Amino acid sequence: MDALSMGLVAAMGALATVAGASEDIESDIGSQSNPNSQVQLAAQVGNPHRIYNKAISGEPPANALWATTAAVVAYTLITKFAMPALFAIAIGASVAALFNGVFSTSAYFGRSASQRRFNQWIYLDIVRYTTTSIMAHAWITAFCITCIAYIQTAILTPHHPFPMPVIALIWGLTVGAIGSSVGDIHYGGEREFQWRLFGQGLNTMLSGQIVRKAEAGLRNSIDNAWFCTKLGGPLTGLGFGLTVFLDNWRTTVFDPVTQAGLAIGMGLFFVIIMNLYNFYVETSIRKKYGPYPGYKGDIAA
Amino acid sequence: MNFDALTIVYILEIVVGGLMVGIGVHFVPVGGAPAAMAQATGIGTGTVQLAAGSGLTGLLAAGLMMSVTDNIWPILASGAVGAMIMMDATMLTGGWIYAYAVGAPFASAKVNYDPITGYSQPPYVAPGTVGQGIPTVCYVSGTIGALMGGIGGAMIYYPLMMTNHNPSLSALFAIGIFLVNAVLASWNIQGTIEGFHDPKFKRWPKAFRSCLVATLILALVAVTITGGA
Repeated sequence: MDALSMGLVAAMGALATVAGASEDIESDIGSQSNPNSQVQLAAQVGNPHRIYNKAISGEPPANALWATTAAVVAYTLITKFAMPALFAIAIGASVAALFNGVFSTSAYFGRSASQRRFNQWIYLDIVRYTTTSIMAHAWITAFCITCIAYIQTAILTPHHPFPMPVIALIWGLTVGAIGSSVGDIHYGGEREFQWRLFGQGLNTMLSGQIVRKAEAGLRNSIDNAWFCTKLGGPLTGLGFGLTVFLDNWRTTVFDPVTQAGLAIGMGLFFVIIMNLYNFYVETSIRKKYGPYPGYKGDIAA
Repeated sequence: MNFDALTIVYILEIVVGGLMVGIGVHFVPVGGAPAAMAQATGIGTGTVQLAAGSGLTGLLAAGLMMSVTDNIWPILASGAVGAMIMMDATMLTGGWIYAYAVGAPFASAKVNYDPITGYSQPPYVAPGTVGQGIPTVCYVSGTIGALMGGIGGAMIYYPLMMTNHNPSLSALFAIGIFLVNAVLASWNIQGTIEGFHDPKFKRWPKAFRSCLVATLILALVAVTITGGA
């Protein structure tokens, strides 16, 4: 272990945290992924809305596409045109953001147009100012992930044997999986449905009854991003940051050639700690919140 | 290429890796879209996506380990640990959202008592839902699933790398074989499962058989590709 490697691992962790947060907010502004099922349903149950609707695909393949596109462009510029890495990655991320813009716009038009029979309108003002916000967040995600891939393949020792685009593909899939598992709950479980009892998930009877009014005027996707930035985004960043940092920390602090056992043992230690921490969270919230008042079964709380 | 005894061993390793992925997916507690609205127990995403996210993080760790050693054991272990770290970090931070943003206690709707902690579940299931959050049994099950997925991914990567000595080719083929098995298992559990305590878990023999056939065909193709390296 040397100071440079440790600094690089810390930088990767920081980049991953930013990438995770921007990935989740990108999906919240665009209303991609799982909670979008409710946005889709809303118009069908008589609630046309002004929420952006771009379920291009699941978040992992979508983000894998943005990150890989950025990495392929950056890799080409670095290797064939000897461009400085930072500029090359920035250009790569810009190309990825353009791809994202094309997909987002066509997804919004396609999905909204297909719901014409439910009186769902296409709002051109929404397209104009929301699409650029989505693209900006996709740019940040693609930039950070490509930076991580570059650090892993070109600077951090031992260099990773996979080429930069493959690493970007895998981290893109991973950040999408984490964003879809963590941040989406804040959007779907909390933001979309705010006029129901607090402290429980969505009752099936309320499916499609999403909140359509904002603090002022009608709610749009930028309002949702404002809310989800408070917790869903940062926690997604924390999840992805933990994954990248802890996984690389153990192989940087312990030499994988001579101390492979220690590197693996340290990883197992992290896993056990996280299992125990989840048990602590479960126990503490059971005590704090207690059982649901309406429960009429035989099993004691 | 020579189709010798070593090649048969490589094929068997790929098949075992594929089966580990296929069975491992059954352990991962995924609630799909309903879980994203805290309407079902488990992680709020798709089976394949989460399994791929964790298994491929393991593949990155295994690939790094294989660049410095040819010994299979540290490679498998590193893959398993990488996958478990990703899965646990995801479940932990996801659990924080259920606990501190939605404000719902973790509860499984498939069992009356958590088999590990003994905590009662039905009184904590919100009305109109089928559980929420990630109770300890689901968390442990998810960790086991990631362990199997990580080992599986590394076990597919190792023989491919020994055959063609090309990390990028091996990685992409390993990702492909991984996804085929994850999708087959996902069909078997029809999208959502809570973990090894879920009644759906008993369906694993079907996934075992289909993954066996699929991976065997893929393994036969994979070992014949010797790459340009």
